[in-house]
Amino acid sequence: MENPLFTLLMGTGIIILLALIFWPGKGLLARRGKVRLSSKRVLLEDTLKYLFDCEYKGISCSLNSAAGNLNISADRMAKLMSQLKEMGLVEFEGSDIRLTDLGNSYALRVIRVHRIWERFLADETGVKQMNWHEEADIQEHQVSPEEADRIAARMGNPAFDPHGDPIPTREGKIPPFSGRPLSSLEEGEVGRIIHIEDEPNYIFEQLSAQGIYPGMQVYLLDKKEGRITFAANGNECVLTPLFASAITVKPLPREEPIQEGYQRLSELAPGETADIVGISSYCMGLQRRRLMDFGIVPGNKITAELQSASGDPVGYRILGTVIAIRKDQASLIFINTENEKLKEYERSA
Amino acid sequence: MMEQEKSKKIKELVGMANSLKWELGMGMHDSIVSSVYADAAQIARKTVTTEDSKPAFSLDRRIDKVVTSRWLGFPIMFILLAIVFWITIAGANYPSAMLATLLVDTLHPILKGAANSVMPWWLSGVLVDGAYLSMAWVISVMLPPMAIFFPLFTLLEDLGYLPRVAFNMDSLFRKAGAHGKQALTMSMGFGCNAAGVIAARVIDSPRERLIAIITNNFSLCNGRWPTQILIATIFIGAVVPPFWAGLVSTAAVVGIAVLGIVFSLIVSWGLSRSVLKGEASTFSLELPPYRPPRIFQTLYTSLIDRTLFVLWRAVVFAIPAGVVIWLVSNITIGGVSLAEHFINWSDPFAVIFGLNGVILLAYIIAIPANEIVIPTILMLTVLVTGMHEVGAGSGVMFELDSLSGTEGILRAGGWTLLTGVNLMLFSLLHNPCSTTIYTIYKETNSVKWTAISTFLPIVMGFIVCFITAQLWYLFV
Repeated sequence: MENPLFTLLMGTGIIILLALIFWPGKGLLARRGKVRLSSKRVLLEDTLKYLFDCEYKGISCSLNSAAGNLNISADRMAKLMSQLKEMGLVEFEGSDIRLTDLGNSYALRVIRVHRIWERFLADETGVKQMNWHEEADIQEHQVSPEEADRIAARMGNPAFDPHGDPIPTREGKIPPFSGRPLSSLEEGEVGRIIHIEDEPNYIFEQLSAQGIYPGMQVYLLDKKEGRITFAANGNECVLTPLFASAITVKPLPREEPIQEGYQRLSELAPGETADIVGISSYCMGLQRRRLMDFGIVPGNKITAELQSASGDPVGYRILGTVIAIRKDQASLIFINTENEKLKEYERSA
Repeated sequence: MMEQEKSKKIKELVGMANSLKWELGMGMHDSIVSSVYADAAQIARKTVTTEDSKPAFSLDRRIDKVVTSRWLGFPIMFILLAIVFWITIAGANYPSAMLATLLVDTLHPILKGAANSVMPWWLSGVLVDGAYLSMAWVISVMLPPMAIFFPLFTLLEDLGYLPRVAFNMDSLFRKAGAHGKQALTMSMGFGCNAAGVIAARVIDSPRERLIAIITNNFSLCNGRWPTQILIATIFIGAVVPPFWAGLVSTAAVVGIAVLGIVFSLIVSWGLSRSVLKGEASTFSLELPPYRPPRIFQTLYTSLIDRTLFVLWRAVVFAIPAGVVIWLVSNITIGGVSLAEHFINWSDPFAVIFGLNGVILLAYIIAIPANEIVIPTILMLTVLVTGMHEVGAGSGVMFELDSLSGTEGILRAGGWTLLTGVNLMLFSLLHNPCSTTIYTIYKETNSVKWTAISTFLPIVMGFIVCFITAQLWYLFV
């Protein structure tokens, strides 16, 4: 019989070794699976994407800005560009770089895969919101257009990715860019930040420090000489026109503003009734569909009925049935208790 | 030509429809659903008249206030579940004994005698001692507890009480990344893991359903309770004075069951943060109104859909396994049976884990049902130790009525307190029975999840047994 202490140490060592090899996601085996495609093709496609983005938004684009965007040296970018030119994907006009028709449709194919994949992650999987873009950045170079078409067809050919960007059609059509500077929004208008100018740098840094980033919903509260007041995802911000002009927004005429002023379902005390105002746009995919299936749509009434023995979840009565909703879900549902009709309803009940 | 024209037009139309979607904006789906509800509400207001339904609601609310109350909610739940288990275990003894007397003690010798007169000894061995006996054993130990447990459980479900259990337990399971309804599939797993896996259908979120399926095996099923009780009585009860023996061995069995629940929560937590991270997840739980149970329908569905369904699968697997059990004990190479070859070869390896070769082989060949593990262990031990005065011959599973007789065989097989403890741990943490594995495959339709459900517990079992054994050797 071996010394048990020795065996124990050996055993622990073997367990750790096996865990290092087989651990899902991070183990050696899983890492080996993630063989990156030739980085050359990735760079070429990323360059095309960047060029398309510039042309789409009407921003002029230089070799240096492209190099900066892809985080590679200008020399390397110059080599890439000449290669793209040989392939007939770009052409030069003086210092301006433009996509050819061929390059344009190539870029749109990559973008289509990227956005479909983001939509897929948002709707069909449990991947966290912050990982969507990163994941799609990898998949856009690996998933074939045909596979992307199949995924899109299964989801009912969605028109937008979860950030609100339009998904190009299979034929390579995309609606014209509809971005405007933030300062052009009128009071009470809602929009989404789609671009923040990264030059000059100090403006970009200042805006980042204020927690303003693309994808946020903005709601213009007040526009006066010298200052613009708006709510970004419900939080109030004040900027000078110079800073505001660095923010490009896309007006969203049909979207309800996210309002901190609204109460959330999680705040409803047991026995109280409220009007449903809406579900936060953070709640997507399967979860959103499920809530709506239960009748959680604007205008319906909801009553907090009973609390579970441990306090969470809470049972709510809606359309005559009681459903349990967890606190973190309930905090994504906006309600309104200040409603005359509602008070009447409560009095009569 | 016409066709070409047509398909071109369709393409144009689809293209136009797709580009018009951009005009509609992102919230289109939401507004459609809202307007459907608004229209439905309007139609309902016009056409449906309702009587004042307040009294019905208020009775429900009064019951709910009690069963979900902070102080009474959990005690009521534990008492109800304890009663169900007690009725199952106490009530299954008699019918089980009767079935065993009929199928094993009476019918088996008759069949054996009849078979011996018409076929060679090895064929009657394979068919009667192997296939028939294994099937008879599975039926007599599996049928009664399931026939009692499932109707009782279905009754609670029908009454509307089980959703309240899920409601109360949800916060615990939420912290483990799972769904409150997993409390129900877990309880069902205490009856039978295969039924627990099927019961996971009530969880409609893909990720939480997979978690419930994979961790169901950590619920100590009906087939394992007798093993736990037997071993705890023989080995753990013997350590303390006779006065305490009953209490201590019961505590040990309950401790193993609780350990199973703890493992199930830990593994759920781990799964939801690793391999299952990307699976879609949602939460929803309806709390239906209480209603009087429909006794006959309950009996029918729980007996046909659950009991017979699971039993049938178990029997289908038990028959070939019985053949294998008989064959490995009777095919000899160089005068030594295959079973002994394997046991001798695996013994040194098994000792590292505080088990022995007999146990390893028994868990491999008795894969169709946990119920036949102890009979197989006894048969193999007798085979290896050469105690020919007990048992019914090689390849014939048996059990003894006397506890001391069983203890004598196991001690002769070299069992110690450590072997007993580790067998109890291994019985909790090993691969699910083949019926459950097959059911998992049927439910998930995925080889990957089936493999994970099968190998994860067995790897954990070896790790836990290894650490226990080595610490034991170190300190005892």
